[in-house]
Amino acid sequence: MSVVGQCIAAFVFGSIVGFLVQRSRFCNTAALRDAMMFKTYRNTKALLVTMMILTVGFTTFMTFGDGYPLRFDVGINQVIGLFLFGIGMVLAGACTVSTWVKAGEGNVGAMWALLFTFIGMFIFSLVWSYTYWPPASAAMTGEPNLAGLQFGFANASTLQEKTGIPALFFGLLQTAVLYAVYRAILRKEQRIATQNQRVSQPRPGNEPALTGHEPALAGNKPALESES
Amino acid sequence: MELFKKTYDPVISLAIISVLNIFLFLTVGAWTVGGGETMMTGLIAEFFLGDELARIPFWDLVFKPDPGYWKIYISLGMLFGALVGALLSKEFYWRVPRHLSEWVMITIGGLLMGIGIRLAFVCNVSTFFGLTPQMNLGGYLSMTGIIAGAWVGSLIYKKVLEG
Repeated sequence: MSVVGQCIAAFVFGSIVGFLVQRSRFCNTAALRDAMMFKTYRNTKALLVTMMILTVGFTTFMTFGDGYPLRFDVGINQVIGLFLFGIGMVLAGACTVSTWVKAGEGNVGAMWALLFTFIGMFIFSLVWSYTYWPPASAAMTGEPNLAGLQFGFANASTLQEKTGIPALFFGLLQTAVLYAVYRAILRKEQRIATQNQRVSQPRPGNEPALTGHEPALAGNKPALESES
Repeated sequence: MELFKKTYDPVISLAIISVLNIFLFLTVGAWTVGGGETMMTGLIAEFFLGDELARIPFWDLVFKPDPGYWKIYISLGMLFGALVGALLSKEFYWRVPRHLSEWVMITIGGLLMGIGIRLAFVCNVSTFFGLTPQMNLGGYLSMTGIIAGAWVGSLIYKKVLEG
């Protein structure tokens, strides 16, 4: 595909994503934060369904060697990097997608978060130029590199190569695990709902429970979410 | 129009995005955001610093500024699509954080996101919508990190809210 063609395909994809995320108020940050802080799962369920569809879709095509899977060595830097990212996204109240979407809605805070994401990346580029860690893509071999705290490269395709079992088989296993988590969340939601019914019937002498469906903090929506 | 006014079901919206994401995976690669943002950072820095930028090895060895990088256009597309969605539903208006604490949290959060993305090579989108569905080992490492991070972030966040 030509460079221009790639950019157009990416822009069309991005536009549809931006529109649907804006209209559905999906937020990846909320999917993790609300499940942990507020025990509400609207976004978490959407995230899990997406992951199930994508796992089946990607591994089906990977079985036949189609598609462009991400290829780079992975290691401790993923854990540390996403740990910092996870703290950052909860503090900013938006992840990479919702910063763009909220910026499109006119949210100045999201634009500010984007600006500082860029600045953070630039700061990291300066640090990297001293440490040269994690290794640049050109220096990657696909094999574990313990000096660089890297485990090499592995995905559904490499599993297929090593075992001879189609990638789709592993994909279906992962989908089953994701589905089990999804079911557990549905059960948990039901439990909370019945609990709330019981709490809403006044019982003299009992303190009102704070663990209900509408948490005490829900009024104070996160920094960027005054509207969603 | 009524279609543009109501809030869509997130499961259905995300299911549509998933199918499109599979097509994108077959043409160029799965949905990702961090790479495009890094390239934008490089292009902005190049605009201000010119050839001086090449003296920072990162922008030579890891990300050479290139406006033809497709990932940039996913981000610009999301901005455009959200703007269209907000205008059609009459939800566009300027929102400015009111409290200093919000500004501080957004600033620190933005910095941590930028540093984290570059350290890990991926953002939350690649973690959940790219690496993990491809059963990449990096996806599981990233998920461990982001869940732990979101948990710590929530604790800090609660502390700040409760003052």
